[in-house]
Amino acid sequence: MSVIYAFVAASLFGCGVYMVLSRNVVRLLLGLSLVATAVNLMIFQTGRIRSPQPPLIPRGASRLGESADPLPQALILTAIVIGFALTVMFAALALRSYRDRGTLVNAGAGPAEQLGDPFAGGTGDDG
Amino acid sequence: MIAWLLALALAGSGLAWPLSHLFGRRASGWLLALLPAGLFAIFLSLAPTIEAGHTITQTLAWAPSLGVDLSFRLDGFAFLFALLITGIGALVVIYSGAYMSRESDRDRARFFTLILLFMTAMLGAVLSDNLLVIFLFWEATSILSFLLIGFDADSPSARRAALMSLRLTAGGGLALLAAIILIGATIGSYSLSDAIAHTGELARSRWIVPIMVGLLFGVFTKSAQFPFHFWLPNAMQAPTPASAYLHSATMVKLGIYLLARFEPLIGAVPHGRDVVVTVAILTMLVGAVQVLRAEHFKSVLAYSTVASLGILAMLIGLDGPAATAAMVGYILAHALYKATLFFCAGSVLHTTGLSKLRAMGGLARFLPVTAAAAAFASLSMAGLPPFIGFISKEFLFLAQIQSSWDAIPLAAAVLVNAVIVGAAGVVTLRPFFMGRGRVKEVEHGETPGLLLAPVVLAFLGLLVSIEPGWISRAVLRPAAAVVYGAPVEIELSLWHGLTPMLALSAVVIGIGAVIFVFWRPIHLRLRARKSIDRYDVEDGYERLIRFIEKLAAGTARRIQHGHLRGYIQMVLGSAVVFVFWGLIAAGRAPRLPSIDQMGALRIGPAAVALIGLAGGVAATRARSLLSTMIAVGLVGLVTALIFMMNGAPDLALTQFAVESLIVVLLAIVLLVLPVAAPSTRTVRQRTTDATISIAFAALMFIILLDMGASPQHTEVSAFYGAQSYLAAFGRNVVNVILVDFRGFDTLGETTVIALSAIFAWSLLGPRTAHESAATTAAAARGHGAFILRITSPIFFRLLAVLSVATLLRGHNEIGGGFVGGLVAALAFALLALARGVARARATLRIHPLSLVGIGLLLAVSSGMPGLLLHGDFLHHVWLDVNLLGIRIHQGTALIFDLGVYTVVLGGVLAFLFGLRREAAR
Amino acid sequence: MMAETLVGATAAVASSGLALWPVAIPLGAAAITLLLRRRPALQRGVMEAAVLLMLTASVWLLAHVAPGRVAAMAFGGWGAPFGVTFVADRLGAALTVVTGLVALAVTIYARAEIRARRRRADFDPIFLAMLASVNGAFLTGDIFNLYVWFELMLVAAMGLVTIDRRPAQIDGAIRYAAMGMLGATFILIGIGLLYGATGTLDMASISAALAGRGPSVTLTAAAYLLFAGFALKAGLFPFFFWLPASYHTAPIAASAALAGLLTKVGLYACLRVFVVVFHGIGQPTVPGLSVLFAIVAAATMVLCVLAAIAQIDLRRLLAFHIICQVAYMMLGLALLSLLGIAAAIFYMWHSMLVQAGLFLGAGAVGRATGGYDLRRAGGLMRERPLTAALFATLALSLSGIPPLSGFWAKFLVIDAAFRGGAMWLGITALIVGLLTLYSMSKIWTDAFWRSPPRPGKLTRQVPPAMAGAVALLAACTLGIGLAIGPVSSFARAAAVQMLPPATAAQGAEQGTQQGTQPAAVERRRQPAAMQAAAVDGIPQSATAGRAP
Repeated sequence: MSVIYAFVAASLFGCGVYMVLSRNVVRLLLGLSLVATAVNLMIFQTGRIRSPQPPLIPRGASRLGESADPLPQALILTAIVIGFALTVMFAALALRSYRDRGTLVNAGAGPAEQLGDPFAGGTGDDG
Repeated sequence: MIAWLLALALAGSGLAWPLSHLFGRRASGWLLALLPAGLFAIFLSLAPTIEAGHTITQTLAWAPSLGVDLSFRLDGFAFLFALLITGIGALVVIYSGAYMSRESDRDRARFFTLILLFMTAMLGAVLSDNLLVIFLFWEATSILSFLLIGFDADSPSARRAALMSLRLTAGGGLALLAAIILIGATIGSYSLSDAIAHTGELARSRWIVPIMVGLLFGVFTKSAQFPFHFWLPNAMQAPTPASAYLHSATMVKLGIYLLARFEPLIGAVPHGRDVVVTVAILTMLVGAVQVLRAEHFKSVLAYSTVASLGILAMLIGLDGPAATAAMVGYILAHALYKATLFFCAGSVLHTTGLSKLRAMGGLARFLPVTAAAAAFASLSMAGLPPFIGFISKEFLFLAQIQSSWDAIPLAAAVLVNAVIVGAAGVVTLRPFFMGRGRVKEVEHGETPGLLLAPVVLAFLGLLVSIEPGWISRAVLRPAAAVVYGAPVEIELSLWHGLTPMLALSAVVIGIGAVIFVFWRPIHLRLRARKSIDRYDVEDGYERLIRFIEKLAAGTARRIQHGHLRGYIQMVLGSAVVFVFWGLIAAGRAPRLPSIDQMGALRIGPAAVALIGLAGGVAATRARSLLSTMIAVGLVGLVTALIFMMNGAPDLALTQFAVESLIVVLLAIVLLVLPVAAPSTRTVRQRTTDATISIAFAALMFIILLDMGASPQHTEVSAFYGAQSYLAAFGRNVVNVILVDFRGFDTLGETTVIALSAIFAWSLLGPRTAHESAATTAAAARGHGAFILRITSPIFFRLLAVLSVATLLRGHNEIGGGFVGGLVAALAFALLALARGVARARATLRIHPLSLVGIGLLLAVSSGMPGLLLHGDFLHHVWLDVNLLGIRIHQGTALIFDLGVYTVVLGGVLAFLFGLRREAAR
Repeated sequence: MMAETLVGATAAVASSGLALWPVAIPLGAAAITLLLRRRPALQRGVMEAAVLLMLTASVWLLAHVAPGRVAAMAFGGWGAPFGVTFVADRLGAALTVVTGLVALAVTIYARAEIRARRRRADFDPIFLAMLASVNGAFLTGDIFNLYVWFELMLVAAMGLVTIDRRPAQIDGAIRYAAMGMLGATFILIGIGLLYGATGTLDMASISAALAGRGPSVTLTAAAYLLFAGFALKAGLFPFFFWLPASYHTAPIAASAALAGLLTKVGLYACLRVFVVVFHGIGQPTVPGLSVLFAIVAAATMVLCVLAAIAQIDLRRLLAFHIICQVAYMMLGLALLSLLGIAAAIFYMWHSMLVQAGLFLGAGAVGRATGGYDLRRAGGLMRERPLTAALFATLALSLSGIPPLSGFWAKFLVIDAAFRGGAMWLGITALIVGLLTLYSMSKIWTDAFWRSPPRPGKLTRQVPPAMAGAVALLAACTLGIGLAIGPVSSFARAAAVQMLPPATAAQGAEQGTQQGTQPAAVERRRQPAAMQAAAVDGIPQSATAGRAP
């Protein structure tokens, strides 16, 4: 089973990376979130998929019995939320840059690198 | 004592700025000259000590841990330089006062400051014994020389010359630094005297080659030896007083100074002397040829200085005491007459504005005293009795005859000296005495300020040779003794009888006279020879600079090309390469998990997982952003399922919530953006990208397999399982980890959400008032389906309640602050979707960012009680009260979780409203 | 096996609030300034007060740990390896102080540059949160916690870069974010793998668990992915592209803070992880790192100094110099010797101050000449001698001219390289130093000497706040340069404190005073934990420190 999960996680990495390499900003963004998902799956396996029991201490018991490894779950929870925040942040950026430039395709030096580009003969001032 | 002199000099140069402003054009030069003059007097008063062969030392600790201390040493050789630096310094300052009379107050003040700072640096360099401190002052002289050459900053040629000298001398300085560091690493000390004492050890060390290369590179650049000589003539762009001071009398001799200090090492290293002598002779010859080709008064002097520096280097290269004696004498003589001639050149430039020799003539009529001074100096330069130059030349020839060398240096010396004789004639007779009437009138006559310096130096040149007793006893002998390492007998006298040296002098004078007579034809012939220019090193320098600039431009173009995709390719590709490199270096094969490590194959989960995989592949194939987003969302949901099936309900819940929120938010974005996203990559690019992706995936697969096969360590998790209820009073271990065991991570991550919310809010939507009015009106219209409009309030309440429940139950059951916050946000998202943002915000009543701020404050402050009570931040405090039979057992953990809840809610709403506002614009 | 490694990892340290404040103060202040968004004046007051408080707290912390003590904070009272801990040793504490100084300078500068409009865009909370994240990264003893701080840093940087919402800023932020998120991903994967291999996240415990372990595929991959991630954050070749693409678009106050602080955090993480966690000195857990470090460092410095020479925009030029400087520190680390690490540490302190100073100076130049285009600048020396002098001081420091701190930094690195037998690295560093001077002297002749190309165009006044901020940092570089003795020995001591005792002992022989052993501690929550430990057969462990 773990091999299957490993394979899925790894292939999701591949897919995400492939999308990240696209010129389209939104596809880049979706690729990043795909990679983030893959990372979560990967961290999940650092706890070795042991048991389907959730790490809840049953009533009456005072300590956790046989269950899945709780620590990776906590890490993933953190990672999920951070990934969510970053994804939305990036979406906001994509939206703005579309408003500025009227395109999602990121080909060549954008406004950032045209600013003060020594070869464009442009000016170094941004007014 | 020495340190205080330096401190005094530094303080004085600091005062130069205000003082010269205070005392204005007339007086400031004379006044400021008191500083170097005073120092000169103090040094002079030490003469008896030096004459007795003593050395004055002083050491102040600076950085003992690095072996760097301010150790100063005033011995004979340093004494000679100290006198030159301060004495000529005083005259230079006075002269500058008159020479700078036309400049603005600010510029004059700047010039005085630079000159006096330079004097300080020079003194420091010759008085220090610690090589690193010497290097400090060495670099200081380079920088100050840069600033003085470029003093007339508006002239491009001045700036170019300044940059040239800085690049060469600073480059040499770095080479010198390398040598110094290696010396320190070899003998374990940066003290110059230690280095000399351990010459043998150094000569045997495995680093001797780099040491010698660095050392020679440093001194040769500094004292303008071939092939670095060309910066010196260019440096004539500096105001004349600076040229007189830096570029003839003192700074260029700093290289000679250090070379002489290291003479024992040079002697000990095989071929050390050969290298030095060869370079020196080349320098002499190049200097001589260029003297004949030079047109400007100052450039003639500059090239003759190059030749003289070559002679000095050669004298260091030659062995035998006479060479040392000659070197010391020559330093003195050259400083005296060359500085004088520079002063005269400056006066001519200042009074006539002429710089080309050919344009000058008959100036003696207007500048009689200057002419006389120039005549004296030239006679000394030409080496005619009864001037000091004569004696020093005698010594020069004596040294060569006594050295173990064959005739080559001698021949070179004769030739070069002859040229110098010619030059001496040219720079005096032509401008001042011949060609009467070529100059009709001058802008102004001689002023005392312009006269004092040349006159004093010219007479000194005479005095020293007529009454040589004191100078040879107190200055030259001690200096020579220090350099040679043993007492050297120096008998200065004008008449040694009929010696071979006298014959040689006669020959030199003879040839010199011929050169002078035929100067014009020789000059024109040589200038006509462009072939010489082809061998000019300066072009090489220019080519080098152009090459560097081109290389730089090419590099910048190539590495920062501006294509984001290229960057990302580089980043991912390099990461893969790094890991592969590591795996090869480690040389381990991946371990494969055993059967029981793998765990039994379960059909359902496996199928689910493969569906996720399909979703991922679909995402890469989809041509529309909408379908891509749906595919990615599918992967997210599948992940949630996987979590669910493997004992992670909390994760599943969070993942579900996050995925649905992302869909809602991205949907808002995609409403605005063009959804069609045709492929932007050529087939070839796609294959490259696919290769990178597959390589990355394969790597991750191997690594995951290996990790799955490695032994697992569960002590920490086990500890959580054991402590979660007993010590942290929570049954949901994951939640307890989040709010208690690793609560601090959660705090940080909560801050991440808070920040991204602030970011989104300040990035999105209107900022100006009227803009916002328009957009809120637009955003007010919710575009939900009718049924949604009706049902949304109910759903809203349901979700709200649910979210609070999730929050409260979190500690013991599935749930917690995150999920709770997300659910609450979903509720508002629904409302906003159905009834519009305005309605949603009205329901919220409070600015989302304020919500974020409150939540953050809650989370941070929830850690404080623990800090106060137990001394540990986030050490949750629990209270257990029995209220009306209901047992309430809660602690600061809940406050913390509430803070998280609030931040998440506020943050997501900030995203939501922000995106809606932006979309509505 | 884990059991005894945990014991090995534990070194008793005094749990004190000192380590908390450099992070808690800016964090709390960020929340408060966020609530004060409608009151810009008050907001600014809180921000400035917070920065001053933070600096004071950091100085206090440094004074506490300077003798070799380690100030730890076990969050929630759970000692390592079970809870998250802050472990402030000499290195971390000193870095928080430097951070405070940079923050102070930026705050002063911001008085002149960050006006109401930018405050409405929440400059203050973002800036404070960034400070908190930087200090957190410098102090934390937990590697996952380190990752969290990196993410916070990234988001804060985004906020600062896009503060004016100019197209260039948005585009720059996209480039920054895309690569920054990839870097974070590498780091996260590496951390996950480390957890999978050792079952803990506490750096000291991981280090102890890895002691004497061979390089498995997992560990190797973890090490190299972490390096890739940290190198990206530090802006090293071949990962630095985001930096020159974004920094120059931000307001100067922001880019100065980023330039001074962020890249150094990446390098700091390299130091911690590869020297301490992976036993870089002694028997490295993972082979081949040193060579890769050296190659990366050399390539970075050569390429970036050349790229800098080609620039005509002052801010971009400086951006490339930042990268070039980081490479010097990487070089020190690549030597994996006590001297090299001490040199890298000293270089970090120097470079944080000078980089920020240069950016602020560039801001002053831009304010005076009305732009950052070197081809249009000019005439500053005559008309703005003070600005010129201050900028020159920092530029000379960057080019390694004595007695400024920059010279000593280069000196220490090159000395370490030569003594370590890495002749070619030392020579590369020297040549790059010369090229740095080349580039700086060009700035001087263009912007300061040459009279303005458009004659009659006078330069504008530079507000005292701007000049003051630059002056503060210029004074710092001069001060460090003059007080080189104590400062360099402290860097040495900090390096010794990082190393495992055996190596540290060698260091002591090399004439460095070693950190005195930290004081013992009284543990809280003893009963429950003890009981659990007894039951699970885990030996009780106090908060693990990074102390030798």
